[in-house]
Amino acid sequence: MAERETLLGDIRVLDLADQKGVYCAKLLADLGADTIRIEPPWGDPMRRIGPFFHDEPEPEKSLYWFQFNTSKRSITLNLERADGREILKTLVKTADVMVETFPPGHLEEIGLGYSVLAEINPGLVLTSITPFGQTGPYRDFKSSDVVTQAMGGLMYLAGFPDDPPYKIYGSQAYHSASVQAAVGTLVALYARELTGRGQRVDVSLQESVLMAQETAIPTYDMRKVVRRRVAAEAPLIPGSGLYPCQDGHIFAGVVAGAGAGWDVIVDWLNSEGMAGDLKDPKWQETFQLMGNVRALVALARDPLALATRLADFAHINEILSAFMKSHTKGEIYRGAVARGIMMVPVQSPKDILESTQLEALGFFVDVEHDELGMNLKYPGAPCYHISDAPWRISRRAPLIGEHNLEVYEGELGFSNEKLATLKQAGTI
Amino acid sequence: MAERILPFEGLRVCDFSWYAASPVATKCLADFGAEVIKIESNTRPDLIRVAAPHPPGKEDDLSAGGWFNNQNSSKLCLGLNLGHPRAREVYGKLILASDIVWENFSPGVNERLELNYEHYAKLKPGIIWVDQPMQGLTGPDRYAAGFGALITPLGGLSYLSGFAHRPPVGAGTNYTDYVINCGQLLVAVLAALRQRKLTGKGRHIVMSQYASAVSVLETAMLDYTVNKRIPAREGNRTPSAAPHGCYHCKGEDRNYTYTTRLGMVEGKKDDRWCVIAVFNDEEWLAFCEIIGKPSWTKDPKFSTFLSRKENEDELDRLVEQWTIEHSPEDVMMLMQQAGVPAGVVQDAEDILLRDPQVRARGYYVYLDHSVTGRSAYDGIAYKLSETPGRLSRAAPRIGEHTEYVCKEILGLSENQINEYLAEGVLEVG
Repeated sequence: MAERETLLGDIRVLDLADQKGVYCAKLLADLGADTIRIEPPWGDPMRRIGPFFHDEPEPEKSLYWFQFNTSKRSITLNLERADGREILKTLVKTADVMVETFPPGHLEEIGLGYSVLAEINPGLVLTSITPFGQTGPYRDFKSSDVVTQAMGGLMYLAGFPDDPPYKIYGSQAYHSASVQAAVGTLVALYARELTGRGQRVDVSLQESVLMAQETAIPTYDMRKVVRRRVAAEAPLIPGSGLYPCQDGHIFAGVVAGAGAGWDVIVDWLNSEGMAGDLKDPKWQETFQLMGNVRALVALARDPLALATRLADFAHINEILSAFMKSHTKGEIYRGAVARGIMMVPVQSPKDILESTQLEALGFFVDVEHDELGMNLKYPGAPCYHISDAPWRISRRAPLIGEHNLEVYEGELGFSNEKLATLKQAGTI
Repeated sequence: MAERILPFEGLRVCDFSWYAASPVATKCLADFGAEVIKIESNTRPDLIRVAAPHPPGKEDDLSAGGWFNNQNSSKLCLGLNLGHPRAREVYGKLILASDIVWENFSPGVNERLELNYEHYAKLKPGIIWVDQPMQGLTGPDRYAAGFGALITPLGGLSYLSGFAHRPPVGAGTNYTDYVINCGQLLVAVLAALRQRKLTGKGRHIVMSQYASAVSVLETAMLDYTVNKRIPAREGNRTPSAAPHGCYHCKGEDRNYTYTTRLGMVEGKKDDRWCVIAVFNDEEWLAFCEIIGKPSWTKDPKFSTFLSRKENEDELDRLVEQWTIEHSPEDVMMLMQQAGVPAGVVQDAEDILLRDPQVRARGYYVYLDHSVTGRSAYDGIAYKLSETPGRLSRAAPRIGEHTEYVCKEILGLSENQINEYLAEGVLEVG
């Protein structure tokens, strides 16, 4: 294979993370970092997480494992054994980053605390991802994605006022913490170029999502008002919210002061004879209001003024809703894009896979899985273009211990005899 | 280390970006020492400045917007009207004096401003140029503008989030802007920046915010491409745990003000919830112990994980019968003391004033601002032991640093500056 230029080709990462941080190391690996996933000899627990390839629940068929371990190598190593911990220390000598998600204090307990590792390799960046961080009264609390989405304020903003709050799909606290940790790790690697030394990066799942509360904290800080979830079945202000259409839903975000305004929308409706009375000049004043961010923000602060507008808004909404209902998601989206109107379909995974835009960006990539006898199609790079050093999946997720020989024999120079002994002892 | 350094000190960022996804990213560069110069004008302000909240009585003051300010700590602001035909004379110079250029316009605006990497890379090799459009600089939908609230439905998160009996309304915010899009892009930019330090090589980095959102659907895309399965909206449930939900708790007999979609109202703080997540039998037994082992916990309908999963609706109702008698804080503490994962569904008041963990770690930073006074800012979500970064100043007013930028960086004469001011190219504030 020809050497390809990458952004992180000179960086080696040891990946000891569970679900909380596995995406952190993937972000680095897909940018070219030599990332070694360290699994127990009996296989990583993550391999038991579904869904599975063709619903066959086997350790080498977990789609969860596949998704989050692309571009990595795997070695088996039992950290519960003293000889296993010694081998990890040897690996630390040539590593730049170690990502881990053990409960706070665990690494110290097994003799692998930062001070020990930094003595072996002063340049090491030790990135730790835990539910609530390494310090503070909740540092030992148990968690899961939903617990930290709740404690981080995300859930309180999601959903309908008369329903329970809900988590955002897809372990977003884990993803957020992994993204934040990758950013912190890279700041530390940059700083190392100035100081010559590594450092600890302490990431809390809870803190990782706090920024995503949007205006909730400033609203409380400045106004002493708590922002609650406010979703509703139908939009209040026309063009701002969810509309059912023939085969799903359209989300409209026309009020942002960007994109095409109501004149364009009404002309579109009118071109299909569905504008009702909206061409009547009497609506102009309302359309101007709805196209003016400042006026809308002022209206939201003034419940009495808002109340006087509700009948008009309902009338416009009725006409717009009828238009939406007579079309498919695709028809509305194509029409909206062509006119610069900010309306998008609520897309399912199927819709996303069929997206012509993502296809044009080359977003989905085929990854070879020789053992399965086929290629699987993966979601690819968030940044579709990095000049001369693409963000890419360089290989499928590794098999259990797939790179043991490469690493233990090829790099550490272990003899066949030693390998056999370690294997029998349950170390690798 | 004797002196804590700000690693990006000496780097300059020419920041055209607005709204949220990009400014949150450039905030990271600024908080770690880069000189981030935001370009804005009263004629064409970052519209986030207009949106709520503002301190009482300052609703129309563009400098007082809490949403904007929170995302723009440690930055400077050059008041430059990008709609003016002579604006390019100024921003062209600033680009050449910068190490990084960052923009998130839709491609139509880029083209009008002739903001393109190829042109400037020839004049300034080694520049890192970052574009963060909604869809991409290429592709059939590249001109479709948008923001985070549109990315969430377009990128699949809305379809998969929430309860099946409700329409897919999404996250309630511009979710992807604040961590996912900006963070994933920073990963690439910081990697490129470090490499540039070693080799001098510049890069052109382009994110599609749409693609970025799709990349955090966990396994939903792979499950579809491989198994043709689309997960149902399951609310707070998860395949590997039961109970795993959000349970109504006892409210507080205290009035406070909160938002509804028809404006702010005053009412009791009774919208209180706690999540509980029971993954294994050990946690289940501990859970039963805490709630006092009511007889239903011995019912075969709930004795095994599989049976709890099969009777999850009933299970959730029974769990709630207990939680409603307790405050969410009590539920969390009781569960955590017994080793069961649980957490309060915290609102902003809980997080800013009550949460001892957030306070102990000093996440929120209070900064003095010339218009808003002392305000809370989101701090840094990755604690670096040796170079922790710092929020060095409150968010800038529009044009607050026009004079500094024009004189000290661009070397413009007093006469030139006055001419630009008179013509409305530059603004001071």
